[in-house]
Amino acid sequence: MSKIDNIELPLIKDEVGSLHPINQVKDFLISMLADLGFQEVDGPEIESEEFNFDMLNIKKSHPARQMHDTFYLENKSNVLRTHTSPVQIRSMIKSNPPLAYTSAGKVYRKDDDATHLPMFHQVEGICVDTDVTFANLKYLIHQILNNLFGKDVKIRFRPSYFPFTEPSAEVDILSENGKWLEILGCGIVNPIVLKNCNINPEKYSGLAFGLGVERIAMLKYGVNDIREFYKSNLDFLSQFK
Amino acid sequence: MKFIYQDLLNFLAERPSKELLSEKLFQLGHEHEIDGDIFDMELTPNRGDCLSLNGLARDLNIFFGKAEPLKIFEGDIEPYNLDFKNLSPDVCPKISFLEIEVESKPYEYKPYLENYFSLLGNNKTNFFTDISNYISYELGQPTHCFDSNTINHQLIFENRNCDEFFKTLLSSDIKLKGKNCIFSVNNEIISLAGVMGGMSTACTTKTKKALVECAFFNPEAIIGKSVKYNLTSDASHKFERGVDIQAQEKVLRRFIEIANDHAAIKNIKIQTFEESQAQQDSIPINVNKINKILGTDIEEKEYLRYLDKLNFGIREEIIIPSYRHDISSQNDLAEEVARIIGYNNIVSKPLEISKKPEKTINNIERLKNYLIKNGFSEVINFPFTRNEDKQSISIDNPLDSNRNHLRTSLKDSLVDNLLYNERRQKDSIKFFEISDLYLKNNQIQEEKKLGIIISGRRGHNYFDFSKKLDSAYFSELLNQDSNNQDLVIEEISRAELKTKKKDRIFYLEISIDKIPKHLYNDSESRMNQINFIKYQSVSEFPSSTRDFSFSIKDIEKYDAVINHLSDLSDENLKDAFVFDFYENKKLNEIKVGVRLIFQSNLKTLSEEDIQKSVNELLQPIIDLEGISIPGLY
Repeated sequence: MSKIDNIELPLIKDEVGSLHPINQVKDFLISMLADLGFQEVDGPEIESEEFNFDMLNIKKSHPARQMHDTFYLENKSNVLRTHTSPVQIRSMIKSNPPLAYTSAGKVYRKDDDATHLPMFHQVEGICVDTDVTFANLKYLIHQILNNLFGKDVKIRFRPSYFPFTEPSAEVDILSENGKWLEILGCGIVNPIVLKNCNINPEKYSGLAFGLGVERIAMLKYGVNDIREFYKSNLDFLSQFK
Repeated sequence: MKFIYQDLLNFLAERPSKELLSEKLFQLGHEHEIDGDIFDMELTPNRGDCLSLNGLARDLNIFFGKAEPLKIFEGDIEPYNLDFKNLSPDVCPKISFLEIEVESKPYEYKPYLENYFSLLGNNKTNFFTDISNYISYELGQPTHCFDSNTINHQLIFENRNCDEFFKTLLSSDIKLKGKNCIFSVNNEIISLAGVMGGMSTACTTKTKKALVECAFFNPEAIIGKSVKYNLTSDASHKFERGVDIQAQEKVLRRFIEIANDHAAIKNIKIQTFEESQAQQDSIPINVNKINKILGTDIEEKEYLRYLDKLNFGIREEIIIPSYRHDISSQNDLAEEVARIIGYNNIVSKPLEISKKPEKTINNIERLKNYLIKNGFSEVINFPFTRNEDKQSISIDNPLDSNRNHLRTSLKDSLVDNLLYNERRQKDSIKFFEISDLYLKNNQIQEEKKLGIIISGRRGHNYFDFSKKLDSAYFSELLNQDSNNQDLVIEEISRAELKTKKKDRIFYLEISIDKIPKHLYNDSESRMNQINFIKYQSVSEFPSSTRDFSFSIKDIEKYDAVINHLSDLSDENLKDAFVFDFYENKKLNEIKVGVRLIFQSNLKTLSEEDIQKSVNELLQPIIDLEGISIPGLY
């Protein structure tokens, strides 16, 4: 036998592809929330104004409903959903508390500049039961952020305003360079929203939160420009194997 | 809204440091940035009442107390008999007018007024308008100053349909359309109420007698007008968020006080038009409900003290201040309490969710796993397109005319992705996208589809390097059943794409629910398997490729060569792989073809840069006896 018969062939380069980093983060969040008890629900990206706004206590006069913020379709007959909250509304109408849902997917706002895109992804959660409190909300948010950024992450809650929650809060984490970074919005579900979903607000209360997937992906991967996610550049995508 | 730190201190009993003030503003939910003594506030849209020094001071009262009330003109004022008609009292339930005449105007302003312009970068306009702007800064109530001599006939306010031009005081001509709140004299529109006054009645530096209008407009009637006409103003910002319906006369008296502080007043007259006394809203006292919302244990006495400090009336019920348009429920009051306690001081309590969902791997996840294992990269594209077909859904207000419809197919997006990467010297492209598509067929139809596009080399290894991605590869990938009518592989014509590349392009688009079941075999869940790598920025400079064919005549050295090749490292080396492998048993020789790809993140690499890297990378191999690169070394 000649020596050449004993050689091992060179290793074949591993050429697996990659799941899009935004979907990786989205799936990770859904999975993490499932571990916390949230069941994923799905819904359409094209929504009626009723489900995208009215049911969520976003009044006709609210700036978000104006043409410069929301994409209207087919002579204002529908909108591209501006958040995934209508998915939760649709699910709540069909079920009774106690419930804990998470909705995830693409949402649309009429923005297009270096820091805002007309399409981005959200993961939102809602939990309705008797005696759900702001103190419970804080506990949950700490769990989520500890899972994402480690147990030592410093978290700050600030009062904010969303028509569908009251009280409302924005949550910041302290970055390595000492600056507070806004990471999510949350609050106690506005009783008007519960009532709109045929849930008795005297008996039940709820908490809700929403995470921007791109924001978390940028922080976790160290991507500085949000537009990179949507260039479909193989040099970019192949890093997220 | 910007304010000067010292100006706010004048409204507070205590004098907190900037740091403490900043901390408490954040606690109350008033985001801001600080530059020297200037606080740049970003207030939430429900807190229009805080868009002034007085408003912020009211909110900060519980921490720092209130200063003495602002000096206002306390003297008697002659009643005015203005010829005014309010045709839309539902939109403007209360409006006050002050006519003020001065002997002469001041040469300079007192420091408090001067600083408002010099430190905050506001432009001076004329004496009356300058006071108007300053008062809005102090008290949050916009006023509008007409030159009194230009109002010669009945002044009318109404919310009516318009189809006419209006010249603003900034001299721009606006075509008013649809319903607008307007002031008019003699059928001429002289002010777009709550947004901006008009040129024909504006005060000038010569004006000595002004008619100062101070109103409450229903926010719903004002919202959207400044955006619609591109007329951004402090007034519209405040009226859209709601002002204090009780404040008008106090504001006009403050106007007189400031005017009097700067000039001799010759004459003042005041008149208020109010349809009916505004009702004060109230909410029952229920501290248990507040504790139930927050998960706290606050005592009623403490609860009422908080509200009292926030200017809520405490009687049999809690009386809501006339400027707090954001308060209507127990949840709103709970937020007030939480802001005072501090959100961060509310102790968290475990949340128990009784029903836990079962985690299962779904078919889409299985399909994605299958494609990824076969070298495909997932892409996500925006749904906007200019291409229109019968089923396209149109966007009423697109970003631009190139994005005025929703796509009905994934194909164009994936072709764009492919061409983009070909321009970036990629020679093996395998992409897929899964997305919901929306079509118009009497009603809106939703369909989740998979799109796959391939072109170029099958792979970067010596088995696949010279093979092309083609329909045969597609059939192999899909394990295609020839009877499956849904799996239609399409070749996309290069000619139509106007590209010089010759690699054929193949495309498949299929509804998710028609995908053959055998593609769903993968049961491995990728969820929870995320690896948060630190991303390396992508180079915008071209890459350079160098191919080398090693002749290995001393077979003993083969392993050393292969080991070395799999361990190549250089700052400009982006990729390296064996693309050819040949054993010549007759001559007892092995030939190994290696491709090195160089690219820098900093510059376009020169021939010299590349050669230097090549020499450093390959010299250790060449130095081995019995190894050569024919024609090169």
